[in-house]
Amino acid sequence: MKKYIYKLTFIFLISGLLVSCDNELDQVPFDDFASANAFVTADDFENGIRGVYVQLIQPGFYGSSDRGSMLTAPDVLADNVTLGRSGRNTKRYLHDYNYNASTTMLTFYRDVYVTIYHANQVLFFAESFEGETKANIIAEAKALRALAHFNLASLFAKIPTQSGDANGSLGVAYVTEADPNILPARLSVGDSYAMIAQDLEDARAGINQTNPDGRMGKDAVNLLLSRVYLYMGQWQNAIDAANAVTASVAPRDDVVGVWEDTSRAGLILDIENELPTLGNAIGVAWSQGGVTSLIPEYVASFQLTNLYAGDDIRKEAYIFDGSSGGVAYNGIKKLFARPGGQPGVVNYKILRAAEAYLNKAEAYFNTGNETAARQALDVVRNNRYTNPPSGETGNALRDAIRLERRLEFAFEYQRIFDIKRWGQSVQRGSEGDIADGSGTASDVLNLAAGSDKFQLPIDQGTLDKNSNMQQNPGY
Amino acid sequence: MNQKLRGILMLFLALVVQISFAQEKTISGTVSDDVGLPLPGANIIIKETNTGTQSDFDGNYSLTVNVGQTLVFSYVGFETQEVTVGVANTINIAMVAGALLEEVVVTGYSTRNKTVQTSAVVSISASEISELSPTTSIDNLLQGKAAGVQVTSANGKPGQGAFVRIRGIGSLTAGASSPLYVVDGAVIREDDLANVPNEDIENITVLKDAATTARYGSRGASGVVVITTKKGNRNKDAIVRFSSRFGFTSRIKPNFDIMNAEQKLQYEAELYALGVSAAANTAGVTTTPGTPERQFLLDHETDWQDLMLKDGIIQNNNVSFSGGSDNMDYYFSVGHDRNTGIIDQLDGFERINSRLNLNFDAKEWLKVGVNVGYSRSTSDEPRDRNNAQNPFRAMYDYNPYETEFVLDEDGNVVLDASGNPVYSPTHTTFNVRGALLSEPAIDIENNLLSSVDAQVLFSDNFSYGLNAAFNAINRRTESYSKPGGILDAIIGDPANPGNKLDTGTYRYDFTISNRLNYNLDSNNHNLNLLGLIEYNMNQNNGYQIRSIGYPSAQLTTQINGNQSTLTETTRNILTLFSYGLFADYDYKEKYLASASIRYDGSSNFGDDNKYGTFWSGSLGWNIAKEDFFNIEAINDLKIRAAYGTVGNRDGIDRYASQNLVSFTPYPGGSATQTSNFGNPGIKWETTTTTNVGLEFNLFNRRVRGVTDYFIRRTEDLLFLIPTADEAGIVTPDVPALLGVVGNLGVIENKGLEVSLQGDIFRSDDFKWTVGGNIVFLDTEIVELPDIDGDGEGDDVFPNSSFNIAWSEGVKINEHYLVRYAGVDPETGAPLYYGADGETYRGLDLPEGENRVFQGKSTIADKEGGFFSNITYKGFGLRTDFVFKAGNWINNFVESNLVSDGVNIDDNQALAAFNYWQQPGDTNVLPSPLIPQDELNAVNSDRFLEKGDYIRMRNVTLSYNFPKVSLDRTPISSLRIYVQGQNLLTFTEFFGDPEVGLSSGETIDFADAVAPGEATLYSYPNTKSIQLGIDVSF
Repeated sequence: MKKYIYKLTFIFLISGLLVSCDNELDQVPFDDFASANAFVTADDFENGIRGVYVQLIQPGFYGSSDRGSMLTAPDVLADNVTLGRSGRNTKRYLHDYNYNASTTMLTFYRDVYVTIYHANQVLFFAESFEGETKANIIAEAKALRALAHFNLASLFAKIPTQSGDANGSLGVAYVTEADPNILPARLSVGDSYAMIAQDLEDARAGINQTNPDGRMGKDAVNLLLSRVYLYMGQWQNAIDAANAVTASVAPRDDVVGVWEDTSRAGLILDIENELPTLGNAIGVAWSQGGVTSLIPEYVASFQLTNLYAGDDIRKEAYIFDGSSGGVAYNGIKKLFARPGGQPGVVNYKILRAAEAYLNKAEAYFNTGNETAARQALDVVRNNRYTNPPSGETGNALRDAIRLERRLEFAFEYQRIFDIKRWGQSVQRGSEGDIADGSGTASDVLNLAAGSDKFQLPIDQGTLDKNSNMQQNPGY
Repeated sequence: MNQKLRGILMLFLALVVQISFAQEKTISGTVSDDVGLPLPGANIIIKETNTGTQSDFDGNYSLTVNVGQTLVFSYVGFETQEVTVGVANTINIAMVAGALLEEVVVTGYSTRNKTVQTSAVVSISASEISELSPTTSIDNLLQGKAAGVQVTSANGKPGQGAFVRIRGIGSLTAGASSPLYVVDGAVIREDDLANVPNEDIENITVLKDAATTARYGSRGASGVVVITTKKGNRNKDAIVRFSSRFGFTSRIKPNFDIMNAEQKLQYEAELYALGVSAAANTAGVTTTPGTPERQFLLDHETDWQDLMLKDGIIQNNNVSFSGGSDNMDYYFSVGHDRNTGIIDQLDGFERINSRLNLNFDAKEWLKVGVNVGYSRSTSDEPRDRNNAQNPFRAMYDYNPYETEFVLDEDGNVVLDASGNPVYSPTHTTFNVRGALLSEPAIDIENNLLSSVDAQVLFSDNFSYGLNAAFNAINRRTESYSKPGGILDAIIGDPANPGNKLDTGTYRYDFTISNRLNYNLDSNNHNLNLLGLIEYNMNQNNGYQIRSIGYPSAQLTTQINGNQSTLTETTRNILTLFSYGLFADYDYKEKYLASASIRYDGSSNFGDDNKYGTFWSGSLGWNIAKEDFFNIEAINDLKIRAAYGTVGNRDGIDRYASQNLVSFTPYPGGSATQTSNFGNPGIKWETTTTTNVGLEFNLFNRRVRGVTDYFIRRTEDLLFLIPTADEAGIVTPDVPALLGVVGNLGVIENKGLEVSLQGDIFRSDDFKWTVGGNIVFLDTEIVELPDIDGDGEGDDVFPNSSFNIAWSEGVKINEHYLVRYAGVDPETGAPLYYGADGETYRGLDLPEGENRVFQGKSTIADKEGGFFSNITYKGFGLRTDFVFKAGNWINNFVESNLVSDGVNIDDNQALAAFNYWQQPGDTNVLPSPLIPQDELNAVNSDRFLEKGDYIRMRNVTLSYNFPKVSLDRTPISSLRIYVQGQNLLTFTEFFGDPEVGLSSGETIDFADAVAPGEATLYSYPNTKSIQLGIDVSF
């Protein structure tokens, strides 16, 4: 009998243990948070909008992806840089126009749409949010969504002013909902740009004059709008938007400091890149190592280096004398490093006030108002040279505006788009990668105007997963 | 010692007994086997006593017994016979072959005699394990041993496991096609198998069909590997066993040559002369033959393979004690393993382990068993990536005229300010020789496997069992970029040199299972019922800490770091709650039936789909046991059939059903990131298995065979259903993963397994057994999700693969590529087939899809092994071969080594010289003058090669000292052997055909959906020669 009591006690103890186990099937994560709970309070939406910016600086978008990103591709595709022969040959497929459906900027393409998803997610939850920051949050999300589509369109589609057939050609899939199951088709270029402009107009109406550091305010939206209208050939709109930008061009004395992170003069959208918050070595996009141990992926092209006049402060601000093993290079300084700091760790600088003046100059020139064009151009030039050139007219003025844009925004996410929309060819110098022009030149020196290669191919995998997607002509 | 003592005692007793009882007499005789040959080593015991003897080498025995006592004759594989001692003084016994292998098979929560087993299972015993390859991991050992078990070694890294697939691919999600591994009742991960030392294993049983796997319900879909550790024998003095091995390991020599300095320089000059401008800066162009500069290069030639690799050392020592008394038994072991691997400057893998298994009868009605195993392993972790940070890529890429260190004009090594040699950056800008020293990474694992088992006997029929198992793995990975090291100089912060990352994981797995057992054995009816309630909880805890700024390379702990750059901890939990009822029945061991049902609930599914029901039924018929069956040549014949369903819940995130966000820092505060795209409807993946099997033993069991035909159909496939790139769905931790987990699609694996063994000779001195097994496998993707909404299943391009596509009606994991048509003899350009069947140059291919399915899958459709085992007196020669056929591998390594001038900066294979030179050249590589964009334009099958091979996995020559010669020593058995592993390979593949991981950092072990798809410089496989000794006393 005693034995049975032992045994029964044993079993009861165990069955007690079991009952408590069934509840254990309802598990919630420790490291994550239910999405529906993450967009409720005003603070949640601040977190949410910062979440979109985090996507903006992913490696493939404004980051240092070896496959190319906004930080590098527009110059790697153009004439401002030369392939460094001691580097790792990153992005060489872009530099050599050696891209096709299996080798293209897929990482960029995906990161752009991830950014768009996050913006759309904020917009979805913001609909049922009634806090006082609602308008600003919606405006910021739309501005980010527009920026992402705009950058994508610049690389993968024609630019409206590039050719007569551009507006009717393939644009981008403009995504306005956070839904995993969409299979969007590409709009025409004209419609894509109309959507971009509309999102930015909406943003302009609702956004705060300024938002906290690292985020867009009204200046940023106006500056983007002026560029979008310029690309669209809507000159007066471009002028109006540029005029609405309140920030002023960085004075000459501050230009070097801007690229060494000691000055924020003239910056409209910049993101502090510092440990422990960020600290990303984005400069590896151009080079690795220090000033005397430089392993450049790309160097400033000999052609570009010589375009800077002796009294142009930008030569010192944008290009540095690097070397490795006694070989001298024209290093690209814009993302290089803070003086004495970790290579490649500098703040992100995405939008600058000088562009408003150069957009305006170009738009005025196209409306025939050369005086206003020259005035706007001189605002930039007066802050760059000790003896600024001036007084051009006609084609000379047009060329001066274009030259200044190239010099001001070298290595700064625009060059190939400018060549493209002006209908020019890429014409690289035949000089090599070493500082004095010796060394090995880039493998391909020209890309003829109108080439299909000005529009990057859509990745085969992208096409495979969305039957509504269309490849660009020529691939 | 024991035996001797026992002998003396017996003699003494015999004398005493002789004096006391007059009716005693000495019986002698011969024991022979079923064909009349003498049978040495047969046991002859006087029934109900401890007295007995063994037959000698001629089958003779003699024993003193009382008239009227009964002698019991027994021998493994033969039926036990009893003879009562009468007037005769001689008793000769002809043993009769016993029942179908009196083997007990461990089949999920219970054991069953093989005779009445109705499921397709394969059992590998301790003795076989110790005879086989001394690999450090169990999964590698399974290769070629069990029909239907496909094993692909991940790579050759010491301590690295293998991809094990039982009967094809059971799931399209990564990690879910591995079998369930159960060690003494507790589940462990495939990755952690290296923590279970082979020496401690008593038995490995592979469960292949639903009759047994369904008892594991939701986790058995890909088969189950049940591992049992050793225990002692009751009423036996301690056996002390010592085993030791020592040997050397080296890379299996590749079957191709790369260029030496002179050849590479010539190649560069040739290409430049042809007009390849990219060659302009190469040494072959900038130096001229005959000049001092050229001579300098030739004088300082480096054989990078020689420099980078070494002959490694393999070492293993193990001591175990086992034995028991009346009511308890014990097994205790301590072991040490070391395999330095083949990378010069690294120490490879090392493990110490210990185990204590104890079983005791606490009360007459209570039996308790405790198993505790502990191991600690350390492993050097070289970079397994696709660039020069990986020594196995660097050794091919570095040019032979480049040097390890920077040299001055006189050829002396240049020293830095501290007097250390300066590593040359090479053309890749990264010197991996220096990096192996300055960028160490080490993985340390502490693993505890423990279980407690209690059995309460209520009556002869009823018992209750409680089993609790705790597994804990504590893993820490330390990687250090030393200040001033190779990587620090390139990407370090000059103000904060050095960079240390510590990553830790603590995995905890707890299972408690309750079993109520009912056993009925009457009137030839035998019934066993088992009820089960089980709970399993698995918890992972992780941390990552990184800091920078180290004053000295000697300081490796983060307490000295200047600035912390990463601190995080993580945790997740997965639970499973199960009920089960299992029944086994047989009538006279002739008619067999089994059935099972199991109801499982898992926490990772959606609220409405947490529970799933899995069941099985099976039947068997031992025809040879029927009275009417009277064919002498057939000793045993059993047919059996099983049908049932099994589930899978692996391969998805633990919280996959929920929409989730996580937070990351951004200037100004936290930033919200989507971390999971939830699917609240996800549920179990279900595999339905049909199995028909035949087991037979012929000609006095000289020929033994098993054959099975199976169909596995998996429905509601769990996998990441790809979404359009435009949807912007990315798993933040794994940027390559785009999609949402769901249940869609059907796949099917069908196959035939044959396993045969035969004794060619069988005499007391000489025995020769040969055997082998093979599976013929056929896989098919039956149904896929309709992603684009046109009503038809769409092709899926899985993440974590290169060029695999899944499409309805084709095999699982087929390569999807444009067909290469060879070199145009007129132009030297590579040609490809367009979709229309015509040949085109790369840039002229017709628009649209030109890739095709060609039935070329990464999965072998024939795989198995064969062996020969010869014993002559004490000598033994065992050889084991494994083979694989029908799989295709994309050989990226070869494509880099014969790159048609694209990789002119890197060293090339000698074969690269064979390029097109003039119109009419055939059997050549494309002309290097073809522009790069044309060469790169097409993703073709040019380097897709057959992965067929036969490899001699093991050859062992051993000598067992005869008992007679050990009589005067305390040693009871002594075996010495020499063993070679992977000494011979037959293949036409360029390089080593055993390809698992392509590149561990491109697609890691856990993520791989198509192991063996491509070669990409992972750790090469090795061969070894070892000397060993096993002693017991």
